[in-house]
Amino acid sequence: MIRIYRQLLVAQIQAAAQYRIQAVLWMLFSIIRPVIFLAAWTAVSSAQGGSVGGYSTADFAAYYIAMTIVGHLTTAWNSFEFEFEIRQGRLSPKLLRPLHPLHYAVVENLIWKATTFLPLLIVCAVVALTFRVEWHGEWWHLALFVPSILLAIALAFMLGWVIATATFWLQRINTVNTLMQRVGFMFAGQIAPLALMPIWMQVVAYSLPFAYILAIPAEILRGGVTLERGLIYLVGQAVWLGLAIVAYRFAWRAGLREYSAVGA
Amino acid sequence: MDAPVVDVRALRKVYRVTERETGLAATFRSIVKRRYREVLAVDGITFRIDPGEVVGFLGPNGAGKTTTLKMLSGLLYPTGGEATVLGHVPWRREGDFLRGMTLLMGNRSQLVWDIPAADSFLVLKEIYAVPTAQYKRTLDELTELLELQPLLHKPVRGLSLGERMKVEFAAGLLHSPGVAFLDEPTLGLDISMQGRIRRFVAEYNQRSGATILLTSHYMDDVVALCRRVIVIHRGVLLYDGALADLAERMAPYKRITVTLRGSVGDLSTFGEVVASSENTATIHVPRTQAGERTARLVRELGDQLADISVEDPPIEEVIDKVFASERPLAEATA
Repeated sequence: MIRIYRQLLVAQIQAAAQYRIQAVLWMLFSIIRPVIFLAAWTAVSSAQGGSVGGYSTADFAAYYIAMTIVGHLTTAWNSFEFEFEIRQGRLSPKLLRPLHPLHYAVVENLIWKATTFLPLLIVCAVVALTFRVEWHGEWWHLALFVPSILLAIALAFMLGWVIATATFWLQRINTVNTLMQRVGFMFAGQIAPLALMPIWMQVVAYSLPFAYILAIPAEILRGGVTLERGLIYLVGQAVWLGLAIVAYRFAWRAGLREYSAVGA
Repeated sequence: MDAPVVDVRALRKVYRVTERETGLAATFRSIVKRRYREVLAVDGITFRIDPGEVVGFLGPNGAGKTTTLKMLSGLLYPTGGEATVLGHVPWRREGDFLRGMTLLMGNRSQLVWDIPAADSFLVLKEIYAVPTAQYKRTLDELTELLELQPLLHKPVRGLSLGERMKVEFAAGLLHSPGVAFLDEPTLGLDISMQGRIRRFVAEYNQRSGATILLTSHYMDDVVALCRRVIVIHRGVLLYDGALADLAERMAPYKRITVTLRGSVGDLSTFGEVVASSENTATIHVPRTQAGERTARLVRELGDQLADISVEDPPIEEVIDKVFASERPLAEATA
């Protein structure tokens, strides 16, 4: 499997190298939303004497910088790409090979993140200096962030595959994707840190998987959780990942029975 | 006798498709309540293919050929029946099965468009776990047979249709599959490229001993490559046997074409005149009497006769007759 991945990575780097500008534009696009919210909350915080619900202006800046990095690392476009693959007849050649189609998506995803991560960090550094970010974390926040972000990346990816498999039944899943995006936008901590939301929204947010992908790793990275709470969050992430894998395995097997290999 | 490479028993596939009438009202009704219709694509076909055979799989559009190939290559689940390919049930998609077969579709690409074919080949080498020495040997062989050398290092998107088809063939055969399903492999290619692909398939079959099941709308492909054909129509198997026997049974006549130095007179005493122009006529005569009628024509037309040829009817005509009959030929044999 290592040799397969090595060769797939080489091929994907060659293919991606031809679309450098597009990759950077997507990366910049992914930064816009958190920066807008950062600017808005900074303004609110300044107007209220420098703090909202215990979050100082510097805390907001740290949170949204962390959110930008986490958002970038957890991006997964499987659910969008998969529908396209089926309609264009590109899934069938992959199904004919002794390698699960998921592996091609993993490689594509890794290469995009790897090639755009450095420019993203540069942009984040500029934003951090502009908004005078202060980091109040401990060493163990960084240690906790590593498994947390890995779990978040895997969860976002597998959740994308679960949604993608709906294509086997629905043919078009744009609306499903849009619905998931909107719900994710509400409950993943993008509008505001979860602690600033009404209690009922926090309950919903912690019951859905989206916060475990974005808000939780972002809070851990900015140093905004206790060690005990951080460990509980990791368990929550692992549980959601387990559920996503089980759902994916079931949906994939059932979906292949429905597959009509149209366009191929 | 060796076990069959492909063994199909009462294989069936029914698609469920949505349908609605035209018009705005029908569109709104379909939002509330969907109507489905069942389409029987393959209706209980049975056949077996032995190792090393090249079999033509014929039928008009919508006959169920591609659906059958997709089931045999593991892309589709059947609605009923059984099949094994290389001893595996295809739709279980086991690794050994996938490593042992290939499905090449004339109008579909399996290569990455943005990179040269040589790089895609390296990916396939690893995916199929082809040992390096075997990979080099196979690639050299395919490069020679398909004249690939100038194409290997160009991005695939820059290749012409014919060039792309050649690299697609190489990509599909790099892992030396024991069975190859070829779905319209010469579709859209010019005459010269069709001939080259045909020669390649014949050569590949001889060299590797691979079993090949081929669909094509070009009867030249079938005549050049397949001694045996399976004919299906509306999902039902109509004929399975030798191509030569098919012609004999569906068209029990030979076609004699005569060219005269003068104008054509009444030739109906020699057989059924099916076409006639100023100095050329085509006559159908019973197969068993073709020799005797030809001799009579030569004798009676004498110096008037400029040219004469005796042929089987074109295969297209024979196949059309099978499709038109729409029922299985009585003694269809494998």
